[in-house]
Amino acid sequence: MSDHVNDLPEATERRLEELEHGLFTSDLSVNEFLLVKEAGFHPVGLVMGSSIYHTGIQTRKWSQSQELTKLTEAMYNARELAMNRMEEEAAELGADGVVGVRLDVNYYEWGKDAAEFIAVGTAVKAEDGVSRRNKLGKPFTSDLSGQDFWTLSQTGYAPQGLVMGTCVYHIAHRGLGQALSTTGQNVELPNFTQALYEARELAMTRMQDESTRLGASGIVGVRLEEKSHQWGSHTIEFLALGTAVTRTGDPVTLTKPTTIISLDN
Amino acid sequence: MSDVANDRSPDLAAVVRAAFAPSKSQKGGASTTSDLSIDEELNLHAIGWEPVELVSGYSVFSTPVGLWSWGQGEIVAATEAHAHAFANAISRIHRDAAAVGAHGVVGVAIERSVYSTYTEVTLLGTAVRPIGAGAINASGLFVSDLSARDFSRLMIAGWQPLGLATGASFVYAPRRTMGAALTQQSQNIELTNYTEAMYNAREMAMERMQQSALSMNGTGVVEVKVVEGPMTFASHAIGFAVWGTVVRLAAQSHRPMTPSMVVSLDDTRVAFDAATLE
Amino acid sequence: MPDSPTPVASATAGFSSGLSVADFAACLDMGLEPVGLVQGFCAMQSASYALAGAQRNLSPFAGQGGYVETYQCPHGMVAGEHRMWGQNYEQLWIEQSWRQGFSSALSRMLDEAVAHGAHGVVGVVDTQSALAGAGIIEFHVRGTAVRVNGVGASNDAPWTTYLAGQRLAKAFEAGFAPVSVVATIASVRVWAYCITEYLMGGGGIGGWSNTAGATEIDQLVRANNQVRELVRASARAELHGDGLHGVDVRIVEHEHERGDVEIQALLRGNRLRRVGDFQALRTPDPTVRLS
Repeated sequence: MSDHVNDLPEATERRLEELEHGLFTSDLSVNEFLLVKEAGFHPVGLVMGSSIYHTGIQTRKWSQSQELTKLTEAMYNARELAMNRMEEEAAELGADGVVGVRLDVNYYEWGKDAAEFIAVGTAVKAEDGVSRRNKLGKPFTSDLSGQDFWTLSQTGYAPQGLVMGTCVYHIAHRGLGQALSTTGQNVELPNFTQALYEARELAMTRMQDESTRLGASGIVGVRLEEKSHQWGSHTIEFLALGTAVTRTGDPVTLTKPTTIISLDN
Repeated sequence: MSDVANDRSPDLAAVVRAAFAPSKSQKGGASTTSDLSIDEELNLHAIGWEPVELVSGYSVFSTPVGLWSWGQGEIVAATEAHAHAFANAISRIHRDAAAVGAHGVVGVAIERSVYSTYTEVTLLGTAVRPIGAGAINASGLFVSDLSARDFSRLMIAGWQPLGLATGASFVYAPRRTMGAALTQQSQNIELTNYTEAMYNAREMAMERMQQSALSMNGTGVVEVKVVEGPMTFASHAIGFAVWGTVVRLAAQSHRPMTPSMVVSLDDTRVAFDAATLE
Repeated sequence: MPDSPTPVASATAGFSSGLSVADFAACLDMGLEPVGLVQGFCAMQSASYALAGAQRNLSPFAGQGGYVETYQCPHGMVAGEHRMWGQNYEQLWIEQSWRQGFSSALSRMLDEAVAHGAHGVVGVVDTQSALAGAGIIEFHVRGTAVRVNGVGASNDAPWTTYLAGQRLAKAFEAGFAPVSVVATIASVRVWAYCITEYLMGGGGIGGWSNTAGATEIDQLVRANNQVRELVRASARAELHGDGLHGVDVRIVEHEHERGDVEIQALLRGNRLRRVGDFQALRTPDPTVRLS
């Protein structure tokens, strides 16, 4: 992650000042709020970062599978900008971390290559006053829900950061001859398989690199999302997301979980 | 509450039989109406509250023709319509609740629609009060979109809801000049003026919500809902709206709840999605 | 422990039930024995009193009683297309027809339940569907008839409830007994006058349009608040001192033509009678689900 100078708009600073004087805002549900309190944290504010980004055009070869590096870069940079701005807001609030982070993309009617990237989450601060920031001195970020955050805290692990890796990949169209010769047969398409493997692999590796940079011992809750956005069906973004964690203490002795069957429909 | 009384009735069938014994009916008293489910009512009772009556509030505000299509900065009339529609709907549900002697309204379902020529807000919830309590000064009456279950959990943890805080802002998105659009075509670049427009809308909306929370002497806003993005009917307008329930700590300190873990034996949904294979 | 339970399948025949397995299990736990799936139908056609548009522009509709409000144009213009009059009125004939249809279907279901020797009907579901053409609505009410173990035959009409399963068990535990399902509607027609029309759609009529800024549309606000109040009042009238629980209110708006809106509020709920003191529920234990 690159270091950014503080570029928060003035109005944002003013609003955050209000939050420092005791009011908190949070999109956590009541259950999540109580569980975050239970884990020893207090919400300090709803923090957000957004970036409206124009992604460049990259020519794709019809019959060749390849990574579209320019689009990969765009998708990564735009999210990184949104994430960094969210982290800055959290840092401004003196928060130790951000939980329940959601990353969204909105498309606008004007400019089909422009998209809005948003990161939203609830900044939290440890109630015991001991800093829980990560190795880089920044507030940790995590897409864990309040429930998962509490459960994680019971295991002696602490989140270090939301890590992501992305790869935009163009999967080759098959030549007409190939398509005809395989019509009516069940065959594996090795090129497809290969391309999908490689793209996922690239996204996962990039995510793991981020985690290593944070000095984390592992990643939990990894999700692999595949989206075509607005590029047509043969160009796919593979996005790997997860929360990097590191062991910080002994696990709280877990009581054996009760098994239940819920009677509500 | 004694422990014995709290235990699950050992013989439910006997309770059911007794319920239909002719002598048992206790008629009379005021009727109550509530849209709470039985378990939510039981939750309320567990903290000593009861439903009183179903209450509602509605408002619709007209916005001028052509408002959304062209301009700079904030779309003032749209922002005002949103704020006033919310405020009037809240004051109407508040008035309904005060009329039946309630102390608050919980589980308020909020429907909010922004159309090109009008903005509509509909609220429906259940007025509640501590069991058998008399009316209070209407200024102390709260309106909250928290469910009865969340309300009781919050009360048990030592917190109380104070009311609904809302904030919204609609802004015009700047248009790109033809020249800029052409030179940007092949580049990866942040469209800073759009980002700024979005930030402006957000800051104004959040600031308005925070101001209304502070004016209620709240120390927090929970379950904040965020609706943001381009307006469907106007390509050059961005909207940002937030609302949530204002809370403050009523007890001396937060009461921890020490949850226990459960493993559900219900079947999880099938995670496999054939569509991803195409 | 419960007294020796009556065998579920009575001597005559097996039973059919619309209950899910969880609800069925809960019924047995409560000592309710399912005796059959019961249902009732009724098809109704409601009268129409609506006037043609141009006619209403010039003179208000007298209404049929109930809630009526008239709005008069302040402009003093007389033209066929200018809305000189606007009205909100309760469509009593639609409400009456709906209630009649629902209660006929309900009582036919109850007749079936009585034939089964049932004490009550649980898990009631009702639907209203429009039959093709001519404004005919079909009412369908169905549920599972049950006998209460250890209670003899009764001449009272069977009780009914939308509840089934654990929700019903909780209601009994809480000291309630079901009395009946309650379903009712209110219907308000809005014929917009000039001011409302231009506020809603903005302009078109002689160049009138909202250029002033955000303005509340009073006629619609009144109609919407009234329809909700009317439907609640109608439900309250059926309670006779009992409580209405688990209420569900649905609002359906239908624009017949420009500036001619019908707002219907449909309310459903369970009329429950208090038969014992409220047994406070033990404060539930907070849990976190691991899967």
